[in-house]
Amino acid sequence: MVQPDHTHAPRPVPSPYTGRQEIDLDVVREMLSHFTYSDHEEAQELILSALQEINEHFGWVSFEAAEIVADHLGTSATRVFAILTFYADFRTTPRGHHHMLLCHGMSCYVMGSSKLVQKVRDEYGIGDGDTTPDNQLSVQVANFCLGVCDRSPVVKIDDEYYGHVDPENLTDLVNRAIAGREAMQASEVNHG
Amino acid sequence: MVSVKPGEHLTKLTSKDDYIAFREQAHQKWETLWNGDATVVSVGVGSSSIAKGALEVLEQAHQVGGNAIIREVSGNGAFWMEPWIEVKRPGVDPILYGPLTVDDVAGVIAGERNDLAVGVRGANPVGEIRPLNEHHYFKHQIQLLTRNAGLIEPDSIEDAIARGAYDGYFKVLFEMSQEEAIAEVTTAQVRGRGGGGFPAGIKWESGRKARNNPKFIVCNSHEGEPNVYKDRHLHECDPHRILEGILIACIACGAERGYNYIGGEYPLGIRRFRKAVADAERIGLIGKDVLGTGKNVAMRVRTGGGAYVCGEASALMYSIMGVRGQPRTKPPRSVEEGLWKRPTVANNTETLANVPDIIVRGGEWYASLGTENSKGTKLMTMQGPSKLSGVVEVEMGVTMRHLLDDIYGGMREGYTFKGIQTGGASAGPITEDAFDRPIDFDSLSDIHGMLGSGGWVLFDEGVCAVDMARYLTAFSRYESCSKCVPCRLGNPALVEILDRIRFGRGSLEDLALIRRTSKYIIELSLCGLGQVAPVPLVAFLDAYEEEFRQHIVDGVCKCGVCPISADSRQAVFTEVAAD
Repeated sequence: MVQPDHTHAPRPVPSPYTGRQEIDLDVVREMLSHFTYSDHEEAQELILSALQEINEHFGWVSFEAAEIVADHLGTSATRVFAILTFYADFRTTPRGHHHMLLCHGMSCYVMGSSKLVQKVRDEYGIGDGDTTPDNQLSVQVANFCLGVCDRSPVVKIDDEYYGHVDPENLTDLVNRAIAGREAMQASEVNHG
Repeated sequence: MVSVKPGEHLTKLTSKDDYIAFREQAHQKWETLWNGDATVVSVGVGSSSIAKGALEVLEQAHQVGGNAIIREVSGNGAFWMEPWIEVKRPGVDPILYGPLTVDDVAGVIAGERNDLAVGVRGANPVGEIRPLNEHHYFKHQIQLLTRNAGLIEPDSIEDAIARGAYDGYFKVLFEMSQEEAIAEVTTAQVRGRGGGGFPAGIKWESGRKARNNPKFIVCNSHEGEPNVYKDRHLHECDPHRILEGILIACIACGAERGYNYIGGEYPLGIRRFRKAVADAERIGLIGKDVLGTGKNVAMRVRTGGGAYVCGEASALMYSIMGVRGQPRTKPPRSVEEGLWKRPTVANNTETLANVPDIIVRGGEWYASLGTENSKGTKLMTMQGPSKLSGVVEVEMGVTMRHLLDDIYGGMREGYTFKGIQTGGASAGPITEDAFDRPIDFDSLSDIHGMLGSGGWVLFDEGVCAVDMARYLTAFSRYESCSKCVPCRLGNPALVEILDRIRFGRGSLEDLALIRRTSKYIIELSLCGLGQVAPVPLVAFLDAYEEEFRQHIVDGVCKCGVCPISADSRQAVFTEVAAD
């Protein structure tokens, strides 16, 4: 497995997903040092943005990270956790080594994404927000639109999009995507 | 914070004359770009084309482009031609090619791949290639908000200024009083584009009159609906237009700070908007003493966390203030007591994006477009099995028949039309009966339809009405903020009834129960989300009651979607949709 990189550089968009990550609190502190504020009102406005950045970088936000955010922005950990559990984007448990975003926007629904959701449940025994017991794959069913509607139903595995997905071939697709990703990561370790 | 750096070459402008000189420079740079001897290659990069490999195409263009100028522009709303490249050769109008792959890039730039050409950006054909505006997808559009889409580099403030950005802001700063600016917006009769349709001029006027200081402007770019991406498109293709709209609103209402609250779903749009703000700050269009006028304007970008309810104005403001986004009772309205208990004017992105043109060309010009009660143009998106898909901008009052058949090219082969879902998750479907009605804010309301934010979802005979109603109700259940009881408990109850029907255990009384429960939710809920949450279900029940009855009486789902028909009447109850 690739070691999580410890430098926090601005990421290109979309951010490359580098697999399951433990949260390094020093990286969190470094990220937060960019969040400066002039008064308490502004500090409160920054809570969401700070959490979002941590969530994007690590795939989830731990309680310890939330505490650091609270300390930095002068609020309570309870308040930060209340936000984490309200907004759908945030995860409070780590994702799998690979993450699948299953678009369940209306376009994908019309073109059959419910079958994909069911297939994932049958095949891997997991639903929205779950991770397989071996930590290989986690799934998020997107209640918004991924914006690739002409190719619906769409699935995003790590940071690759796959269009016109047929439930019959979903497992194949996942295996191929994971294999491809791992080959890429292996070559990054060797050459990079 | 992921910092976006402003352009290094930009310097602060401190007076009116400075700005005029800068604008002149930008114009010249633009002219030289298009009339010079260099080959100009533009790659359309937006979130939809990135998914199809536009970044690789851009990379390849850099590799094989030679001396050509390579530009990263935005998508142009036509998803069906992505990824695309536009090549401008000296002395010839630019030609667009797409959809293409990395392997085609070299050939396209060399001019050997006319088979991939879609059209010419210009009035005259080049050889066999016809002008793009003759393509049916573009021919019927009126591009005001999206006229820079795929044309300017969204990250370049000079490109935007060369195409007329900040002209309206300039006018409001130097040539107009606050009252005059608001009068133009009122004359234009521009109505809120987020779905509500409240006249923006009236909102601004009450914002200006509010006596409490400071005041704020909030741009609502939170697009949580599962069926629309117009604001994402606007942010990606022309962030400066949105920014200008916010700045004009700030000056006109006397607000000292503007906010743009962007949903977290579109990182590219957020990055481009942040870049626009950074550049505008750098050249002094935002900040203290703007261009020597003594006026102060600040700008903050805030991002959402993926809660649909935050599209509601009071919830949105709570979300900006860093708490759970739960709506509150009104009054006081947000224009009296909004963000940080200050007067706050909240407008939709598309509404604000209309403002610069209204200021420059006048409210009367704007009011000449559209229908009696709905002026201007509207961004619309079509999803589902239509031949083409993407974002279009059309005049208010087009008919659905025109939109579907002439612009989007009708249904795809092998699909039979069943209906079109309107207004996202807050209205019902329309069928072919309503195809000839001119679409505006009010024209569909008597059949539970709604223009809303302009997202249409086409569905075919393979989609079961009960299942789709369940999907829409489950969406509202998932997105309910759970503050008030009718919405928190009512929506799960509706989903439960629908599941009963889907699993073949429904009774005819359930139909009456649906209507009764829906009525309570609609009448008793606190905010807009709850008040419309059961509307799609009721509308589906009205339009496709026969299908509901078939499920209950005959135990048949003719589409074969519901578990009732898949040999699973004994199946263990499992949740299937997004919970």
